[in-house]
Amino acid sequence: MSTMSGYLAMTRTEFRLFRREPFSVVFVLAFPLMMMVLLAAVFGNKQADAHKIQNGMLIWRGVTPANYYTAASVAVIVAALGLLILPINLASYRERGILRRFHASSVRASTLVSGQLTLALVTFVAGTVVLAIVAKLAYHAMWPQEVLGVVVALVAGTAAFGAIGLLLATVIRTSRSAQGIGLMLFFALWLISGTAPPRAVLPTSLRDIGGLLPLSHLVTAVQNPWFGFGWSGTDLAVLAAWAVAAGVPALWLFRWD
Amino acid sequence: MSLATIASGVFSDLVGVITVSHLRKAYRHVVAVDDLSFDVEAGEIFGIVGPNGAGKTTTVECLQGLRHPDGGTIQVLGLDPTSQAAELRQRIGSQLQDSALPGRLRVAESIELFAAFAHHPVDCNELLARWRLEDLRAQAFDTLSGGQRQRLFIALAFVNSPELVFLDELTQGLDPQARRSTWQLIREIRQGGTTVVLVTHFMDEAEQLCDRVAVVDGGKVVALDTPQGLIDRLGLPSVVRFTTTEPDLGWLEKLDVVESMARHGEAVEIRGIGPVLALVASELVAHGIVPLDLRVERPTVEDAFLALTGGDIRE
Repeated sequence: MSTMSGYLAMTRTEFRLFRREPFSVVFVLAFPLMMMVLLAAVFGNKQADAHKIQNGMLIWRGVTPANYYTAASVAVIVAALGLLILPINLASYRERGILRRFHASSVRASTLVSGQLTLALVTFVAGTVVLAIVAKLAYHAMWPQEVLGVVVALVAGTAAFGAIGLLLATVIRTSRSAQGIGLMLFFALWLISGTAPPRAVLPTSLRDIGGLLPLSHLVTAVQNPWFGFGWSGTDLAVLAAWAVAAGVPALWLFRWD
Repeated sequence: MSLATIASGVFSDLVGVITVSHLRKAYRHVVAVDDLSFDVEAGEIFGIVGPNGAGKTTTVECLQGLRHPDGGTIQVLGLDPTSQAAELRQRIGSQLQDSALPGRLRVAESIELFAAFAHHPVDCNELLARWRLEDLRAQAFDTLSGGQRQRLFIALAFVNSPELVFLDELTQGLDPQARRSTWQLIREIRQGGTTVVLVTHFMDEAEQLCDRVAVVDGGKVVALDTPQGLIDRLGLPSVVRFTTTEPDLGWLEKLDVVESMARHGEAVEIRGIGPVLALVASELVAHGIVPLDLRVERPTVEDAFLALTGGDIRE
C-alpha cells in the first residue's frame, strides 16, 4: 500500500537527516537536561520542600524540586518541537521549494508530518531515558513509577504539539517569522505552565491562562505517572482535543508554496 | 489497472492528452494567464515558450494541479487537475522550477524516497544510470552542482513511470554537452510513448526538440505551430552573405527573391524570401564570381519568437 510505504520512506528519511544534523541531536538530548540541572540547582533537592504550600497548593506537588523538574523538562522539549522546531523546519522547506517538490509527487501533508513526529517521539523517549538516568545519579531522583503512563503522555503531547506546529507552519510563511513568533510563544508558555516557576506560585490570572494552554496539561500528564499518582485522564483528553482542534484545520489549509 | 483508469485512458486518446480552453489565473490584481487555450496530442513533445512573466509556469502549474485556475477548463489525461489531483499526479511526472530537496538527503536516497510514493515506480538503479547519477549516489543534495541537481530533478520526474511529463526549464544550468545528451534522452523517452510538455526560454531547445510550439505572451497563446511553421508563417527573410572584389553587383538586385542588398567594403549581405541562396549562387556563377564564403542564414525559431513577442526580452 503506497500510503504505508510512503510513511515508512518518509520516516526513514527523517531519521537519516536527523543523524546527519548533529545540532538537532544535541538540542533534543541536551536542552531538557540543561533545563533540569539548572532549575534543580536553583531550587534544590530538599525533602522538606516537598510539602511546602503556597496559595493553598503544594508548590512541588509533593516531590522534591529536582524530581519535579526532571518530569517537567520532558514536557518542555515536546513544546519546543511544536512551537519552534516543526514550524521553522516546515517554513524553511517551503521557502526552499522542498514542499513544492513533495507536493508535485503526491506526498501528503499528513505523511510529511507523521514522519517528522515519529522521529520526534523516538527522540523524546531517548531524551527521557537520559534525563531519568542523570537525575537518578545526580539527585537520587525517582525512576518513572509508571513507564507506560509517561510514554502515553509523550504520545499525546507529541500529537498536540505536532498539530500546533503544523498549524503555525500553515499560518506563518517564512522561517524568520516562524523563529520570532515561535520563541515568543515558547517562552510565554514556558513561564506560565509550571515548567519554570511552579504554577502554585503564579498569580491566579496567569495560573488560569496557563490552565487553558496545552503545556500545563502535558506537564501534569507526564508528572502524574512519573510520581506514581496514576494516569491523568483529563490532561490526556485536553491534549487530544488540542491535537484535533489544531491538526484538522492545519491539514485542510496547509500551504505548499 | 482499474476499469476507470482504462476508460479515462481511452477517453484521453479521444480528446488529446491535454485540453486547455480559456484558462485564466490571476494573483491578486496581476493577471498571469488570460484566456489561454491549446491542445496537446498523445506522444508529442509540446513546447511552451514565451518571455519571462508570460504565464508559462503558471499554466503548467495549473495543468499539474499545483495551482487552481480562476476560470476556463482543463483536462489532463481525461482528469480535472483541480478535483482529481491525487489521481493525476500518479500518472504525470514533474520537473519544477525553483524546487529543492533537504540539503543532507543523498541522491540515491531521494530517488528511493520519491519511488515510495509512486504506484508504478521505475527501477531506481536504472533511473540513476540513465541520468548519469550513479557516481553521485552517495552525494548530499547540498553538495551537488546546479547541473547535477537539474539531472536529479529530471530523473525524479520519471520515477513514477509517467504517461506525461512536465519539464519546466529542462536544461537550465546544464553545460552544452549535458544539454545535448538530455535532449537525446528526452527523444528516447518520447519513443517510449511518453508525452512531453516542455517549458523553455531557449529557442534552440524548442527548435531541436519540439513537434509543436505554443508561443505565450501576456498570458495568451500568440502562435501555435511546428517550429518550421512558426518561421514560415511569418515570412521572415533569409540572409545570404559573401565577399567579393567585384565592384558592381546591381544585377543581383533584379532577382525576384531579393528584397535588399547591402555592401560594406568587400562584404555583401542580401536579404530575401524564398530560395535566395540557390538563385543568388547561380547568378554569381553565371557572372564568373565564385566566392569561397558564400553562406545563408535561415530564420530561426528565435527570430520568429522575437517577431511574435515584439522583440523585447523582459527580465
